Amino acid sequence: MPPTPDLSDVPIFGHLDDDERAEFEELSEPVSFEAGQKILEEGAPESRLFVLTSGTVEVYKSVLPGRRQRLATIEAPTVIGEMGLLTEPRAAASVEAITRVEAHGLGRDRLLEMLDANSPAACKLVYEIGRTLAERMAATNETVAEVISRLENTNARGSEDIDVFRDQLVQDWSF
Amino acid sequence: MEETLREVRFFEFLTEEEREEFAQVSEPVSFGPGENIIEEGVDQGSLFVLVSGTVEVRKGLSGERSRLLAEIDSSRGRTVVGERGLLGESGASATVRTVGEVEAIRIPRDTFRSMVAEGRPAAFKLSYRIARTLARRLTRLDEEVVEAIRELEHRGETDMEAFRDRLITDWSV
Repeated sequence: MPPTPDLSDVPIFGHLDDDERAEFEELSEPVSFEAGQKILEEGAPESRLFVLTSGTVEVYKSVLPGRRQRLATIEAPTVIGEMGLLTEPRAAASVEAITRVEAHGLGRDRLLEMLDANSPAACKLVYEIGRTLAERMAATNETVAEVISRLENTNARGSEDIDVFRDQLVQDWSF
Repeated sequence: MEETLREVRFFEFLTEEEREEFAQVSEPVSFGPGENIIEEGVDQGSLFVLVSGTVEVRKGLSGERSRLLAEIDSSRGRTVVGERGLLGESGASATVRTVGEVEAIRIPRDTFRSMVAEGRPAAFKLSYRIARTLARRLTRLDEEVVEAIRELEHRGETDMEAFRDRLITDWSV
């Protein structure tokens, strides 16, 4: 039995009215993942945005070959794959279910068609995604500033600090 | 004012009617030499279209020092600064200071949000445009950092200055 869609619990859908949410619920396809199953694979095409309604996922990236850099553990309700709507539809990181996950998949192409047609529901969704990106950009700018000052200190002190610099960069960057 | 917005690449995706909508809510503003249009750390909440004059974008460092991130000469093409402030509420991450006299057009966030609340397509199109710009910058920065980490790991000839410059390019105030 598919889960009951309940997008109102998901922050970026919270500003939509009931009719607009119903529009997305109609378009979305219920999907579930077992623990250990990959939802998105780094570098692979990102054809859907997933609205997770229950469960927990881990986000990771292979920054260095053979090593899995864990970026975040995220609990539902949340949205993943939303960047694919705004940039190249290619996953920048992998997302794996660490518990059973219930989700709704929304096709990227259909969402883009809705945006082209000025659908209020799609426009509001992108506006909310944009607001989260604006905050993420602000945080990234601060990290960039820190990286730059550290970089200059490293240069001044010599090459022995390069390893420390690299490790801190892996640690601090939120990707 | 609609005429002015038409010459801005950032607004070229809007129809003439939509640009007119923005022209109606925009305010012309003038700044003297050495004035801050946007101040680092302060939530300025407006987008500015630079119509004439030159500005410097500076990031404060520890102590009294600051780093010049960019110099924008509006005679080379009308540029937009502070677009992130229309969507987000965090303080600006750099200061935009005039070099000489500067004429600009201001679109305040409150006005923009009223347009969003009214469901006006022009406002949503602008948010989509800003969101795409931010998403691309974030993706590019991520790629730069991954590349630098991989080069450092392999002890390759990492040009740290070039890496730093690439991080600074296209700073989103």
